[in-house]
Amino acid sequence: MTMTTMTATPVGTESQLVIAPMLIVLVAAAATLFLGRHPRARAAVSLAAGAGYGLAVAAIDWYIVLAPSAPGIATYQVGDWPAPFGITLVADGLSAFMLTMVAVLGIGSLVYSTRHLPGGEGRSYYFPLFHFLALGVTGAFLTGDLFNLFVWFEVMLMASYVFVAYSGGPQHTRAAFWYVALNLLASAVFLLGVGGIYATTGTLNMADLAQRLAEPAAYGLEPVPVVGLLGMLLSVFAIKAGLVPFQFWIPTAYRAAPPQITALLAGATKKVGIYAIIRLSFTVFAGAEVAVDLPLPVVDATIAGDSPLPFVGAALLVMGAGSILVGGIGAVGRDTMEGVFAYSSIGQVGFIAVPVAIAASTVDPTLREFAIIAALVFALNHTLAKGLLFLAVGTVRSATGTSRFADLGGLAGRSPPLAIAVFIASLALVGIPPLSGFFGKFLVFDAAARAGAGPVLVLLLVGSLLTIAYATRMWNRSFWGARTDAVDAATIDPVEVGVLVVLAATIVVVGVGFDPVYEFAETAAEAALDTDTYVDAVDPQKASDLGGSSGGDH
Amino acid sequence: MTAIVLAAAVGALFALGTFLLLRRDLIRVVWGLAIISQAANVYLLAMGGIAPATADSVPVLAGHGDHVPETADPLVQALVLTAIVIGFGMTAFALVLSYRVYEEHDTLDVTELGDRK
Repeated sequence: MTMTTMTATPVGTESQLVIAPMLIVLVAAAATLFLGRHPRARAAVSLAAGAGYGLAVAAIDWYIVLAPSAPGIATYQVGDWPAPFGITLVADGLSAFMLTMVAVLGIGSLVYSTRHLPGGEGRSYYFPLFHFLALGVTGAFLTGDLFNLFVWFEVMLMASYVFVAYSGGPQHTRAAFWYVALNLLASAVFLLGVGGIYATTGTLNMADLAQRLAEPAAYGLEPVPVVGLLGMLLSVFAIKAGLVPFQFWIPTAYRAAPPQITALLAGATKKVGIYAIIRLSFTVFAGAEVAVDLPLPVVDATIAGDSPLPFVGAALLVMGAGSILVGGIGAVGRDTMEGVFAYSSIGQVGFIAVPVAIAASTVDPTLREFAIIAALVFALNHTLAKGLLFLAVGTVRSATGTSRFADLGGLAGRSPPLAIAVFIASLALVGIPPLSGFFGKFLVFDAAARAGAGPVLVLLLVGSLLTIAYATRMWNRSFWGARTDAVDAATIDPVEVGVLVVLAATIVVVGVGFDPVYEFAETAAEAALDTDTYVDAVDPQKASDLGGSSGGDH
Repeated sequence: MTAIVLAAAVGALFALGTFLLLRRDLIRVVWGLAIISQAANVYLLAMGGIAPATADSVPVLAGHGDHVPETADPLVQALVLTAIVIGFGMTAFALVLSYRVYEEHDTLDVTELGDRK
């Protein structure tokens, strides 16, 4: 596709660029499998793929979303089958924002992995799995088909199952078994939701779904069941995102996986859950003409509206509030670094869910867009900061052999660059200006204030205080205080610390130069809410329109 | 009639799967998960239904002329095929993993495994 065709068609365009990041990681996964006996070549191919992935995502950002003459949305119809019969890949502002976020952390984690491979060089399957994990995440962000989303979830999960069991100790296999069992069950529920939606609407293409649900009468549909089916899908996405009451798998799985993978689990696969909630709730199901009316007897209130969104809002608000409290309180009492960060992840994802809930509950389009921007900016900060912190856990563990607070102390004097990077990431979690975390937290508070939700503000405040408490405690117990024997004997890898410093610098740069980041997030939120453009770009057709020219040639 | 049989089969499979999932033996838990995945597959098949063959429901038929009897929805079958492959792989992985759990912990009792920190 040339740029001239992009400018000629105002609403979206076809572009091979959309599939480029997926192809790059797929080729890298296959290549690293074949290079099993050559660790150096394996690492080199992986790094090249990381660079290519970064370039492809940057190209999508610029040529499809951000450039002055960019179309804003681009599609790729796999195999040239027109939607809704083939699989459609869609890159719009929301997908691009998510991809960018994951690419930054993914490349950092990849460079880190070339230095310190858990289990030694003999584990030839580390890099192929890494690329398959990236493939699953990328596919989930780009697909425009509900069943295809299920498939990419499975690709992502299969890689992560192996990573949770990777270290091979008793606690790792046990953690992996719980993780596999939970996610197999979630996959079955996902299939139930998908099947129900197909039976109700007759399509699984997201754009076609949105189009049909907006005018159910024209397609002869009875759309009421989609509210419940959407609820089923939401519970699956909440498991991936680790929202209360589905948070219980997070601490064990995060402790068992290698730290650089845990950084991706917290920074990337969690965000896939958030992305799926935003995409399906706002782009696909927001326009569904379903009058809902659910009186709540205990609190004497009614959830009502003319789309499924009020239900989504109410459910997400409860889950988000629970996550903030469970995560915050849990993190304060942990005795290892990764324990603190795992619970902190639960709390932080609550901070992302609450603005999404506000966006789903409000009827004011300005506030809806603003709340989604807040959620996206907070998600960006969480990916950068928590990714950095989990990578730092890996550095501390490989240098000292432990991450228990009881055996740590005085790390700040032992390696000032490591300490500065962790300090910046902790401050970003807390939300100190001018770091990226300040804007995330500020926007979330602002969204809650604009919605006039007093109790939500109190909740956010309590969550923030808990964040300060556990971040301070983590810092005091491991980086300050008397230097322990383990810290004295530590040898800290300079490249690992280099990756941490670069990520810390990114956090500062995102905070200081926040204007373009905000505009990107604004574009992403507009794309999430703009169902019409999404449908026009994908352009789902009716079978009768094809006239036999494309389907029955064989 | 078909609908009732399918509904009963799906219900029975889910009931059996849930029962096995709640047992103490890890292998039974794996069987439970496998049966629940199969139940979801049968359910998915049932969601397609059988309809008069028109190009609207089956685009491939657009070029096939008029002599086509009733067809089952081919889309759900394609979906189920994908889901079966994924489910098969996952069941194999879960079985291997439970063997590893047995090697590491010398027990397959879920309550004993849960007690160890």
